[in-house]
Amino acid sequence: MLRSKRTWAIAGMAAGAGLLAACSSGGSSESPSDGGGDDGLSGEVSVWMVTQEDSQAAAWEAIVAGFNAIEPDVTIVTETRQIDPHKDALRQAAGTSAGPDVYWYWEGSGLGGELVNVGLSKDLTEYYDQYGWEDRFTSASLAGVTQYGGFHGVPWTQQGEAIFYNKALFTEAGITELPTTYAGLVDAAEQLKAAGITPIEFGGTVNWHAMRLLDALVETKCGVETADALNTGDGDWGTEPCVTEAFTELKTWGDEYINDGFMAMSNDDSSQLFYSGDAAMAFEGTWFESNAYDGGMDPENVGIFTFPTETGRLYGFGEAFYINAGSDNSDAAAAFLDFVSSSEGQGLAGNAWAALSVNKDVDRSDASPLAPSWIEVFNDATGIYTNNDQNFSTAVTTEYWRIQNSVLLGDIDPADAGSEFQSFRESNQ
Amino acid sequence: MTVTTPSRGKSAADGRSRPPRRHHPFLRALPYLVPAFALYGYFLVYPMLDAIRISFFKWSGFRTEEPVFVGFDNYTRMFTEDPVFWRSFTNSVLWVVLSLLLPMMIALLLALGLNRKMIGRNLLRSVFYLPAVFASITVAAMWRWLYNPTLGLFNQVLEAVGLESWAQTWLGDPKFAFYSVFVASVWQAVGFSMVLLLAGLQNVPQELVEAARIDGASAWQVFRNVTIPALRPTFIVVVILTMINSLKVFDLIVGMTGGGPAQSTQVLALWSYTQSFTNHSFGQGGAVATVLLIVSLVLVIPYMAWTMKGEEK
Repeated sequence: MLRSKRTWAIAGMAAGAGLLAACSSGGSSESPSDGGGDDGLSGEVSVWMVTQEDSQAAAWEAIVAGFNAIEPDVTIVTETRQIDPHKDALRQAAGTSAGPDVYWYWEGSGLGGELVNVGLSKDLTEYYDQYGWEDRFTSASLAGVTQYGGFHGVPWTQQGEAIFYNKALFTEAGITELPTTYAGLVDAAEQLKAAGITPIEFGGTVNWHAMRLLDALVETKCGVETADALNTGDGDWGTEPCVTEAFTELKTWGDEYINDGFMAMSNDDSSQLFYSGDAAMAFEGTWFESNAYDGGMDPENVGIFTFPTETGRLYGFGEAFYINAGSDNSDAAAAFLDFVSSSEGQGLAGNAWAALSVNKDVDRSDASPLAPSWIEVFNDATGIYTNNDQNFSTAVTTEYWRIQNSVLLGDIDPADAGSEFQSFRESNQ
Repeated sequence: MTVTTPSRGKSAADGRSRPPRRHHPFLRALPYLVPAFALYGYFLVYPMLDAIRISFFKWSGFRTEEPVFVGFDNYTRMFTEDPVFWRSFTNSVLWVVLSLLLPMMIALLLALGLNRKMIGRNLLRSVFYLPAVFASITVAAMWRWLYNPTLGLFNQVLEAVGLESWAQTWLGDPKFAFYSVFVASVWQAVGFSMVLLLAGLQNVPQELVEAARIDGASAWQVFRNVTIPALRPTFIVVVILTMINSLKVFDLIVGMTGGGPAQSTQVLALWSYTQSFTNHSFGQGGAVATVLLIVSLVLVIPYMAWTMKGEEK
C-alpha cells in the first residue's frame, strides 16, 4: 500500500513536472532550457550523490522525470552511496576517467574545495553566462560556489543546523520556554535528565555527528572572531582558554546528557531514539525534518531552535552539484542542473532536502510544518559558521575527531585537548 | 640373438636420430610459470615496491598533483609525531600474539575433540567451520548487532539474568572495543585452523600411538610425545597463516569500529589505508605499509627458517 502511494506520488510529481515544463516554454530567465529536445542534447549523464531518504528519492525521481519531459534524449543515471563512501569514491575518482558527469558535494575549503583544487570540478562560468544563473540564486548560495574563484558548482541547498526537539518530552520535563542562552540549554538538559528523559542523541561511530556539538561549543565559548581564527585562520588551539572551556563542556555533555552508548552507535541508530521519543533533542540540519516524519514522528510534535551560542550566527553549510571537469557530456549535465535549480525543479524538490531554496524566486514558507521556523531562523542569523570537517583538511579533520572522541571517552583531559590538536596542525603544515 | 647397438657417433654425425636434449627442469617449467610470475609481479611485487617508493614522497594521491621527494620525512613524522601510529603498531602486534594463543588453542582442543568417533561429529565439524566461510564484513555486521548497546544480544542477556551492571558499550569503550572485535575474529578464525589440525591429526601414525600406550604412556604423555611432534608440519602452516592473517586484519575492524573509538582499535593495515585514502597522505600511508611489511617479514621469515631447520634435522 505504501509502495502504491509512493508510486502515485511520484507519478503525480512527474505529471506536475510535465505540466510545469509545458507552462514554462516561454523561456524566461527562471525557466529551464527551452530546447524541448531539439537542441541536440542526448546521451547519458551520470550523477553521484549520497543515499536518499524515501521522500528525497521520490522527489529526485520526479525531478529526473520532469527534466526528461523536456530532454527525452538525455538519460540521467543516478548512483548513490552512504556519506563517507561517497567522499571516498569521489576522492579516488578524481583525476581518473572513472568519475561521474555530475557529483553532489558539500561546499567549503575542506570538502568541496579539496576536489576543486585537484581539478575534479569544472569551472562553469560559460554555463552561468548561458543560463543566466547569477540572477537565479540567493547571494548566500552564490557565495558558496564562487569562493574558489570562477563558478564551481550549481547551488543545491543552503543548510542550517539547529536543535530539533520533541515538544511532548519538553512539556513532560516542565520546560516551558525554549533556551535562548547556553546556560538555558544546559538547564533544559538537566530538567530532561531529572525527568528520566535522554536529553540529546548523537551517534559516535560517524565522527562528524558529535562534531556538531563540539563546533557549536567552540563558537559558544570563543565567540565569532576567535572561533573563525581557530577554524579557518591561524588561531592557536593550544593557547586559547575558550578551547579548554569548549572541550570541558563537551565532556560534560558526553557524561551527563548524551544517550548511553553513543560511541558505539551510528547517527542512523541514534536518530531512531529521537524518532521513537526516547531522546528529546537532536542536533540536525534542515534535511532532518523529512527524516523525522519518515521515521514516524508527528509533525505537530517537532520543533526547532538554534543552538544558543549567543553569537547570533547559524550553524550551517552549502551543498552544490558540480560538473566533472572530465565529463564528455557537460552540456547535457548543465542542462540538467539548469532544470534542477530552476523554479520548476526546486518546486519538485520541495522541502525534501532543505527548508529554504537556493533559488531566490522559490517561496517555501508553506512547504512544510517547520518551514516558517526555518525562515525565521535564517532571517535572524547574523552569519553562518560552518562544520569543521568542511573547514579542515581531511588529515586535520581525522585528528580533530580523534581528540574530540578521546575527550568524550576520558582518554584526553580537556585541558590538554587544544594543545594536542594544535601541535598536530603545526606538524601537518 | 643379435643385438644391434646404434652408433652414437654416426647418428650424431648424420643428424637423423639425435637423442632428445635434456633441458633443465626450470626451463621446462618456465612456460607454465611465466603467466603466474607476470601476474604475481604486476599485482603483488610491483605495488609492494611502489608503496615503499611512495613512502619517500609527499603526495596527495590525486593524479593531478605531482609527488614531491621528501626522503625519510614520512618515517620521522610517523615515528615521532603521528598520534595514531604507535597505537596501531601495538594493536597489530597484540593481535598477532593473541591470535597465536587463543584461536589456535581453541582450534586444537576442538580438533582433538572432534577427531574422536562420536555421534554428530560431522555436523559439529561443519558448525564450527561455518564462520570461516563468511566474509569478514558479514561477520562484522553480525557481531556489531550482537554488541549493540541497547538492542544487542549480550547486553540483553546480561540484563535478563540480572547482571545489567555488566552491560557495556562493547564497541564504544576503548577498554573493551579492541578485545570485543578480537572475540569476533576468534569466532571466525577457529574453524579454519580446526580443519587444518584435524587433517594433521589424521596423519598421526596410529602404530606409534598404540606402541606408546603399550609402553604404559599416559594420555598426556601420548599427546605430548607422539601427537604434538606428529602435528609439527601442520602447526607450521597454522602458525604462519595465523600470523599473516593477523597482520593484515582490516575488514573486520572497518566493519565493526572503523578503527575507533578515538582510534583505539586502529591497526597498521587500516591506518595505512586511512592515511592514504582518507587523509590523502599517500607518503605517510606508504611508510606505515612499509613498516607493516617489515614486521611481517621479521615475524614470518625467522619462524619459517627455524622450522625448516627443524625439518632438515
